[in-house]
Amino acid sequence: MERLSGHARVSSRARLLAVVVAAGGILAVTPVSAADEVTQDRLLNPGKEAGNWIHHHQNYSAHRFSSLKEINRDTVKNLKVAWTMHLGGIEPGGIWSHGGLEGTPIAENGFLYVTDGWGSVYKIDAHGGRGTLAWKMDPKTDRDWAGAVACCGVDNRGVALWGDLVISHTLDGRLIATNKETGQVAWQRNVADPDKGEVITGAPLIVKDMAITGVAGAEYGIRGWIAATDLKTQKEVWRTHTIPGKGEPGSETWKDANNSAAAGGGSTWVTGSYDPSTDTIVWGVGNPGPDWDNAYRPGDNLYTDSSLGLDATTGKIKWHYQHTPNDPYDYDSVAENVLVDIPGPSGPLKLALEADRNGFAYAIDRSNGKFVWGLPFVKKVTWTKGLDAETGKPIEYDSSKQVQTYVASVTPSRTNMETDICPGNMGGKNWPPTAYNPDLKLWYIPVIESCNRIKVEVATPDKLKPREFWTGGGPSQPFTITGSVTAIDVTTGKVAGKMETPFPNLGGILATPELVFSGQPSGEVMALDAKTLQKLWEFNTGGGVNAPPMTFSVDGKQYVAILVGLGGAWDKWFIDATPELKKIQPGSMLYVFAL
Amino acid sequence: MLLASVVALNLSMPGVAYGQSSQAPASDPTSAGKAVFAKANCMGCHKWHGNGGGGYGGDALSLRKTELTREQIIETVSCGRPGTGMPFFMRGAYDETKCHGMNRREASAQMPPEGGTFLRTKDVEAVADYVIAHIKGAGEPTYAECVAFFSNTSRVCDIYKTQAQKPEDAAVGAARSQ
Repeated sequence: MERLSGHARVSSRARLLAVVVAAGGILAVTPVSAADEVTQDRLLNPGKEAGNWIHHHQNYSAHRFSSLKEINRDTVKNLKVAWTMHLGGIEPGGIWSHGGLEGTPIAENGFLYVTDGWGSVYKIDAHGGRGTLAWKMDPKTDRDWAGAVACCGVDNRGVALWGDLVISHTLDGRLIATNKETGQVAWQRNVADPDKGEVITGAPLIVKDMAITGVAGAEYGIRGWIAATDLKTQKEVWRTHTIPGKGEPGSETWKDANNSAAAGGGSTWVTGSYDPSTDTIVWGVGNPGPDWDNAYRPGDNLYTDSSLGLDATTGKIKWHYQHTPNDPYDYDSVAENVLVDIPGPSGPLKLALEADRNGFAYAIDRSNGKFVWGLPFVKKVTWTKGLDAETGKPIEYDSSKQVQTYVASVTPSRTNMETDICPGNMGGKNWPPTAYNPDLKLWYIPVIESCNRIKVEVATPDKLKPREFWTGGGPSQPFTITGSVTAIDVTTGKVAGKMETPFPNLGGILATPELVFSGQPSGEVMALDAKTLQKLWEFNTGGGVNAPPMTFSVDGKQYVAILVGLGGAWDKWFIDATPELKKIQPGSMLYVFAL
Repeated sequence: MLLASVVALNLSMPGVAYGQSSQAPASDPTSAGKAVFAKANCMGCHKWHGNGGGGYGGDALSLRKTELTREQIIETVSCGRPGTGMPFFMRGAYDETKCHGMNRREASAQMPPEGGTFLRTKDVEAVADYVIAHIKGAGEPTYAECVAFFSNTSRVCDIYKTQAQKPEDAAVGAARSQ
């Protein structure tokens, strides 16, 4: 009921604003019509506007599935570049020599909204079979300030739409609302603080007139959080820390005398999902810090490496499920949770699916956070012999131990200071999003098939300094790393297929009724058969694909769009595992394909 | 590596301007070295303050705590450090000019990576002079050092301010709700 009255308020306010703005003569273009305003009702029903893509993850359930099927198994062979657009944002800053593109375009009524790594927002008119830049909003990100504490690249994963505003983040911690018609900044608010090592790389999630923001910085000693900003008042509604405060439930899982919880990590830099039927936000939480010295932080370290169910109205934690307690591997669980309902033995199962850095795919009952099934989705796992069938915990997990060792011979520790682990610390699966085909009940994971070497450095309190790395060691890359697209049959919890690729999947997946789209950091964009994963089409962009594909339609024609520009963590920290990628040049380009 | 093109790009972009605008006064003979420190992306691993540190990229040594002499720094920049991630920046290193007595074949798996840009001898000397004068032996980074490096257009230096230097930022801090 609260929700309904909320909508009514927003849309009437937005309409009023539009009228006022138009009457004031500020707009030189067509006034905003109510049909262009993004309301909670529209966000709840993206299926009613199949030609648009109005959520970061396509819908609240994070399916990244479009029902558009002009481009299908039979026609995809005729897919060609329709138009391209050069973007900016590859400037250096902080420890980074260049930015990259990791964003998912948003499409609404023939217009695209995309971001570059430094957070500039571009509105592009896609009518008439070509792309025309309508406006660019440059937030003038403080590059040296933010870039010095961005562990893993100059990244921005995209915008959200609300009312007549485009909602975006900047690496230097701001939430910005930009007028959709004019490109003028309507307001902005500091949400994260780079002075504390906090930066923002994820796209906002809009829930009931709130923008939900996640934070990055677990490699810099932050205490993670998820925050909700009321878009009508621009005030914070709630901020839930992912590491409990002293005395709060879960604080007993930090057992040291160094107050390690205060800098315990638990980032939230991947956009989550939302279940309106229970008003629950489902959001993944990152690794504990220091990453590789888990003896510094004895205990399970809640809620790091967990999926959280949060009351959307209050931010209160309803349930949690932790994948890797007392993680010594940097196996975070920031990944998106994909919400899927399937028939079960005693009524429908309401699942949250997560493909974890640790190499296992999990199905959790999202009504209570209980484990349903889990299986490895990578070819090689060495850190555990498997998951307990009842609890889903690694079978070596011992709740009576303060410091977990799992398969001790490979696990980084103070007595095993240099060791090789599989998956490597990038995963498994990193931020690049999965996709789910609800017709086939197949879930497609963009996989990094990897091992790497970890060197432990014993952490001590004096090494914890503002804006400096707090990792307790570091990785190196003596092994070649490849990738795959791996499909899981959600009805059985089994791997249904694996299409191996020469390079790790650093971009993510789009699903359509008959196809799966993905890319490679070596430049290829490809379409696979949704059932067999056979490659049906491929185009080499000449850049590095580091962003997810999406699809939309305008003037009755279907397009596939993808940002191309290799950045992120890979080409600074992990490139030695893929030496062939050293020749890939930085770039910043939008590719749009059509039949 | 990718760095090569980026550094090249840097030359024609405003990015390099901060290096210039923040250069030490002309009387400081090490100002050229600071520009090299930025241009060759020494800060990508050693950070602007030279303290390096671990993290995702392994462990860049602290130039503040280094005991290397000027000549040893010149050799390290020119030839890199075999078996580590410290690149070589001298054109022809391990080819026309042996490094640590080795050519490419002899260095084999110990061959260090190639820097993103090659530096002329005078640039290598300049960056060594800069490290000796402003980084080696220095204690913890200070606000004055940070501002001298970046100029004051970025908030990157704010955390080094002492409490007495902070009042002008009070409003910014207050604007952020907890």
